[in-house]
Amino acid sequence: MRTLRVLFTTVALSVAATLNPAYAEVLKVAGPWEIAGTDPAQTGYVFSRLQVAETLVTANREGEIVPAIAHQWSVSGDGLIWRFTLRENAQFHDGTPVTAETAAASLKRALAGVGVLAQAPIADIASDRRDVVIRLTKPFSALPAYLVHFSTIVLAPSSFDAAGKVTQTVGSGPYRVKSLTAPARLELQASGGWWGGKPAIDEVSYLAVGQGETRALMAESGEADLVFSMLPVSVDRLKANTKLDVQIATIPRTRILKVNAASPFFDQVEERQAISAAIDRVGITKVILRNADLAATQLFPPAIKGWNSPDIQPLVRDVDKAKELLAAAGWKAGSDGILEKDGKRFSVTLLTYSSWPELPPIATALQAQLRHVGIEVKVSVGNSSEIPARHQDGTLEMGLISRLYSIVPDPVGTLLQDYGPGGSDWGSMGWDNKEIQGVVQQLAATSDAAARAPLQARAVEILQRELPSIPVTWSELAIVSNKRITGVEVDPLEVNYGLSAIRWAE
Amino acid sequence: MSSIGDLSFARPKGRLPAGRMFGAGLLVLLGCFAIIGPMLIPADPAAQDFSASLAPIGGDFLLGADHYGRSLLARLAHGARLSFGLAFLTMLAAALPGVLLGLAAAWRGGWTERFLELSATIVLALPGLMLVLLLLAFAPGNYAPLFLGLSLTLWVEFYRVTKATTKSVLAQPHIEAARMLGFGSCYILVNYILPVIAPMIATLSAFAMATAIIAVSTLSAISVGLQPPTPELGSMIVELLPYYAEAPVHVLLPAMLIVLLVLGLQLLAQGDHG
Amino acid sequence: MRNFLVARLLQAGLVATVVGALCFVLMRVLPGDAAMRIAAGRYGPDARIAEAAEKMRLELGLDRPLTAQFLEWIGDVLRLDLGHSLVTGSPVVHELKVQLGASMWLAASALALSLLVGPVIGLFSGLKPGGAIDRLALAGAVIFRAIPPFVLGLILMLVFSKQLGWLPPAGFGSPREMLLPALTLALGLAAMSSRITRNSVAAVAKAPYFAFARYKGLPEAVVVGRHGLRNAAIPVVSYLGLQAVYLVEGVVVVESLFAYPGIGHALVHAVVERDIPMVQGTALVMGLMFVVIAAIVDLLTHWLDPRVRRMA
Repeated sequence: MRTLRVLFTTVALSVAATLNPAYAEVLKVAGPWEIAGTDPAQTGYVFSRLQVAETLVTANREGEIVPAIAHQWSVSGDGLIWRFTLRENAQFHDGTPVTAETAAASLKRALAGVGVLAQAPIADIASDRRDVVIRLTKPFSALPAYLVHFSTIVLAPSSFDAAGKVTQTVGSGPYRVKSLTAPARLELQASGGWWGGKPAIDEVSYLAVGQGETRALMAESGEADLVFSMLPVSVDRLKANTKLDVQIATIPRTRILKVNAASPFFDQVEERQAISAAIDRVGITKVILRNADLAATQLFPPAIKGWNSPDIQPLVRDVDKAKELLAAAGWKAGSDGILEKDGKRFSVTLLTYSSWPELPPIATALQAQLRHVGIEVKVSVGNSSEIPARHQDGTLEMGLISRLYSIVPDPVGTLLQDYGPGGSDWGSMGWDNKEIQGVVQQLAATSDAAARAPLQARAVEILQRELPSIPVTWSELAIVSNKRITGVEVDPLEVNYGLSAIRWAE
Repeated sequence: MSSIGDLSFARPKGRLPAGRMFGAGLLVLLGCFAIIGPMLIPADPAAQDFSASLAPIGGDFLLGADHYGRSLLARLAHGARLSFGLAFLTMLAAALPGVLLGLAAAWRGGWTERFLELSATIVLALPGLMLVLLLLAFAPGNYAPLFLGLSLTLWVEFYRVTKATTKSVLAQPHIEAARMLGFGSCYILVNYILPVIAPMIATLSAFAMATAIIAVSTLSAISVGLQPPTPELGSMIVELLPYYAEAPVHVLLPAMLIVLLVLGLQLLAQGDHG
Repeated sequence: MRNFLVARLLQAGLVATVVGALCFVLMRVLPGDAAMRIAAGRYGPDARIAEAAEKMRLELGLDRPLTAQFLEWIGDVLRLDLGHSLVTGSPVVHELKVQLGASMWLAASALALSLLVGPVIGLFSGLKPGGAIDRLALAGAVIFRAIPPFVLGLILMLVFSKQLGWLPPAGFGSPREMLLPALTLALGLAAMSSRITRNSVAAVAKAPYFAFARYKGLPEAVVVGRHGLRNAAIPVVSYLGLQAVYLVEGVVVVESLFAYPGIGHALVHAVVERDIPMVQGTALVMGLMFVVIAAIVDLLTHWLDPRVRRMA
């Protein structure tokens, strides 16, 4: 009898819990990213975006560097020694204060691991009272931008095991980890000790939902209050829903065709320009991305201030010009309509990957468009590692990739990697341009906006003329929120989704 | 493990019942569509026309157009040819060795049976999905590993059913008598065993073909199937799925073809009776 | 009984060895650079994969002789240590507990749901082959069998989540969240099991002992209950036993559609990202599970039909 009563009470309680409005006071968030692994370099972005862990400095919606754990910073006259002063009231979720030693230890760990910090000219990282001191081997104005990256989040010593492996994420942000069921669910609770005050919503539950269709249905059925990264096809439908708010921001991500400029197909600039002129960017963006404004007429979208030149000659479709350019480069139509030169058919493999669901459909469209000008393209959808692997062994002909220019908020960080001598995995291949290398080096060394502007314009101009990689479309991020909540803002840099500012609507 | 085949599926002989006629008719129609369709339909299944994106059914395009503005009629015809062909080959490559090995195991018994039984157990114990993925990794986007991997996982079913049924037939007193009287193996096979296992193999084959098509679509859904722009029924569904709210019928068209194929095969295999 | 157990244990040992060796060989002869794929799996497509792969190569020891690696793996398995995932870094046993556990719950629910539907429909269709119920059931079975599971799942989501608002389209952990993916799988399963039950019942209904029971004047329900069900259940049980295995692995699209953290999804990731310990561990555990399920099915059919004893 007693067991029966216990059973009954349990059932009644769980039913009540489901129906009780207090139960619904959890902010339910859904997004595409899975939480695989605990190392900051692997999944730090989840903890940074959901405000569990913080970096020394962060970026605001305009991409400017603003204080986070460090409330001020300075650089020595020779540009070699940077000092970041930590705020007094920062504390970890286990109650211990954030000290300069713990911060320096996290940064040293990031420096030794796989992350962006290893690419900055850092000589060493030390602590001095409340300051984290970073010594450089040469002046590098973009350093604070590198410290925004999620791999540099500052974790409490209790996050690590004896071997220095991260076993749990104990950060200093407004939310602390309540429970983590890798790879799909993360439950958070407001932490009382955040320097920025207590967030309005006490509990957050994040669910990783890989399929875009399912994410849209999560929003439509009210099962999630905040859903990130909507498929372009569902955006119009969600906008029409009176219970939902849709916000869209252009993000600094461009889908580009990486071409092997050392191969006989793309070694002449005319050939690359012809490919660019053969592409129907407006059609692709209309049909697949459902927003014709995303057609990439140059490498950077207008939202990236200083990097989009309004007076540059835009990249547009011109099939006749494409054919002329190809003819000028020595390609003549063969018997089956495919171009030929010196007995070699213009038949290439376009490698792409499905980590971004829109890439294979865009590749399919490009295939048909290039066929129009006499180029045969075989599409191969593989794993994202095949692009760098086949860059390394030199067998890549063409790759459709999605390139992020805000890995550090300053696009210079990405350009340094992509267009250096010999090119790089996600950048140029077989294309060596001394001028752009010089320009980018100068940009990395100076933070003076007046000196930077002409250099930025020059870099964009070279890339537009030479087309070492051919821009296809820009990207946007769509976020859907239920009208039950307010205060949602899109962060185009995807550093921090600002959960702590979200409130229940009255 | 006992098997589905313990019971006999014997069917009354004589003229084809209505259900089987209907099934046969359906299959002939689908066969014509898949074989002759691609030759009769002038449209190129890969030709894109963005201005006709998701064109409705019955307009300029008889069966509408997909999101790239490609003729769905042409894609369905080419897709049917490829999918049905691939499914048929896969089924054949699974059924032939499956049935032959099943017969051998039942006939010979002893170590032959034990060895075959162990191989079957191991194949069943290996996750089939993993097997197909691993084989596909050798030649991504090709037909051969896809086809090989699927047959490799499907043959066991044929083997088990054939073996169990043949064994029970051979154990019947009148067959044992026939064997002792010196009737040849061929005679017993043709007169006693085939009539019993044939209808069961037919039923299994029908479902094996469906399994093959669905498996290819599953693989497309996780982006390891055939490469674009190949028109294949399963991957067409996957490609069109995001547009379900705007063009639900377009998404269901390739699925309908698969349903019709399975229905035709089922009716033909089973008829009106058990 | 004792012989049965010994034979099964031997079989389990053999299956484990062969499956382990096969996976080991296959994973290592795959073309492409494993370190690159692991790096991409760890750090995502925006990272500098080539550099990460260089750093990892030594850490992983993928260049050591194959025989040494294999012997080491066997040794670890004997100590019940399946190693750590190369991508997430957590123990394979832990990953399996979460993801295989989740899949088994899903599979069990789907199986239970399908048993509520399939055999019942099959029974009624089998009693009158060619009748109205039989025809309807055939059409239903063909449709649920031939529509890809992700389409079926999406339709269920549209109905139950969007239109009716009864069930969440994604998530895991509570029965409410498991119902839709389980139903998606159950419909496909019921399609097959209903047809097998139907054939089985139809065959039993034609058998002399069944007819005799009817002539004795027993009521229909008693005849079916006493003579029909038990005999008709044998092929259904052995079929479902096989399906239970397919279920655990074959649900990958259903898992990703419903954001359910199951083993199918994990296995696909592990193969694509060349997470060798994860693939080997999963294959091993699933192979052993198959042996266990096969043993259970044998016991069940044995109990249902003592004649099998003669044939085995």
